[in-house]
Amino acid sequence: MDDQGCPRCKTTKYRNPSLKLMVNVCGHTLCESCVDMLFVRGSGNCVQCDTPLRKSNFRVQLFEDPAVDKEVEIRKKVLKIYNKRDFDFSNLREYNDYLERVEEIVYNLTNNLEVEGTKQIMEAYQRENRDIIQKNKAKLTREQEELEELLLLEQQGNEQRRLETLQEEQRQLQAKRKSKQALLDELERSHVPATILLAQHKDRAAQLETQIEKQKQVVKTTIFSTGIPMGQTVSLLTVNRLEEVLYHYQPIHMHTYGPPVPELEQLGRLGYLNHVRTAQPQDMAGGYNSGLACHRAIQDAFSGLFHPLG
Amino acid sequence: MFHISSQKKYWTFDNEESLEQLRCEANQKYRNKMLASGKPGVSDAVFLEAHEENVLFRHYEKRLLDFCNAFKPVMPKSVVGTAIMYFRRFYLNNSLMEYHPRTIMLICAYLSCKVDEFNVSSTQFVGNLVQESAAGQERALEQILEYELLLIQQLNFHLVVHTPYRPMEGLLIDIKTRYPLLENPESLRKSVDDFLTRVTLTDSGLLFPPSQIAMTAILNSASRAGLSMESYLTECMGLKEDKETLLKMYDAMRRIKSLMKKYELPKPDEVNAYKVKLERVHADFGTNSNMNG
Repeated sequence: MDDQGCPRCKTTKYRNPSLKLMVNVCGHTLCESCVDMLFVRGSGNCVQCDTPLRKSNFRVQLFEDPAVDKEVEIRKKVLKIYNKRDFDFSNLREYNDYLERVEEIVYNLTNNLEVEGTKQIMEAYQRENRDIIQKNKAKLTREQEELEELLLLEQQGNEQRRLETLQEEQRQLQAKRKSKQALLDELERSHVPATILLAQHKDRAAQLETQIEKQKQVVKTTIFSTGIPMGQTVSLLTVNRLEEVLYHYQPIHMHTYGPPVPELEQLGRLGYLNHVRTAQPQDMAGGYNSGLACHRAIQDAFSGLFHPLG
Repeated sequence: MFHISSQKKYWTFDNEESLEQLRCEANQKYRNKMLASGKPGVSDAVFLEAHEENVLFRHYEKRLLDFCNAFKPVMPKSVVGTAIMYFRRFYLNNSLMEYHPRTIMLICAYLSCKVDEFNVSSTQFVGNLVQESAAGQERALEQILEYELLLIQQLNFHLVVHTPYRPMEGLLIDIKTRYPLLENPESLRKSVDDFLTRVTLTDSGLLFPPSQIAMTAILNSASRAGLSMESYLTECMGLKEDKETLLKMYDAMRRIKSLMKKYELPKPDEVNAYKVKLERVHADFGTNSNMNG
């Protein structure tokens, strides 16, 4: 599952698959236990690249390649500053240029190229566009909230459904128990013979079952599987109704220009096979029978006999 | 099957005159081509006439038949029939002066072996050319492979040929089953075979369906042996009512028989005279003539 191990204690990762790898800002990984061990004082140096690191900067690795994690972190930070949207620009070309710049910054920071220069560019941009950044931040938070609300709603819906099914089951169990109890009571009290009571009970149980089934089916099909709620008028272009002529099968009629040939199956009965060499066992093993050769000879003999009239 | 075959569609003609015309046209086309090319020594007298070509054609056809009969391993009759049909079809649209019959004859046999699934390796094939040395056989093989595609092209890629041998077998089976009046159809077999061999040397293959040829062979042999088979057509083939078809059948049979009678082996002195002319044409105007005919 995980082909990389912790670069420090190596073996521990394979032995303990639940162990998590942590990534830091330099892009190198360490397993949880190693992090605890090395950064017991809160800060230290990376094992591989010797950059000074803090324990708090370690995050659980989400991707197999730690470089990807590093880039994701950097991208988050950059996009906090460079948060313009497509409607902030007057035309597509400008937007694309802006995006290109952003990507270059992320690339440089990820691969440690011109870190200083890039940082300066970022600071300059930040200073210049401070208010736009603020505005966009506010917008972003609003969108996040809306998304979160939707998620919440969905979760609530799931919860509700789960509760309902639980309640349903409980009700069913109770109903069954009640009917059983009623049966026992009746067996005690009434004078009707036991077999009849049992039969009645069975009927009632069967009825209950069918009721439950029906209820389950009635349970609300308000939404199609694609997510479109039922009852909503979907405005599609009407599909033109194609009426075509119904196909009638007509068997092929071959003009052989000769007298009719008897069917393969009839040959034996009609006595043709008596005049053909009988098939040896080794021929028949391959699927050959004398009727095939006979039929072919007769077909050839009759084909075109009345040509050119037919 | 014959009724849906390319043989019926493209290689069955109505009468002998159309065949003659095609051959004349082929001859004429070659002459015009040579006259137009403006080579030295070209004149009408040098070329072969259509009837002279005919004589040579029959001569080489007979040689092809002899070659196939002397072939080792023994060539099935359908292969021989196919080879001769290829030869005939090729020279329907081409002139003997353009392509030497000696080469074409071997190629026809070679192609026919391949098409009819009579598998002979090429070395085995040229091994049958007994009068040539090993080097001569090599050269023959090269020539065969060179012209094979040309032959297929001139046959218009219609390679399946329906010979009358299988219809003959089918008719014999049918007679034995449905026509007890004829006591021993097997006794006819030899003369029928003989008839069919002679028929392949005529133009019948290009004019009539193979089943009609087979029927003619059987009826002819029966009448030669003094056995009557008239009621076979009327009763078994259901032609009692259908007078028209019956008449057409008789007519076709008559024509086949007359074609057979007309055939005669070419006379040797004629053959030699025309051969000389042919060799001259090939030597002067031919593209390659390293095979002596």
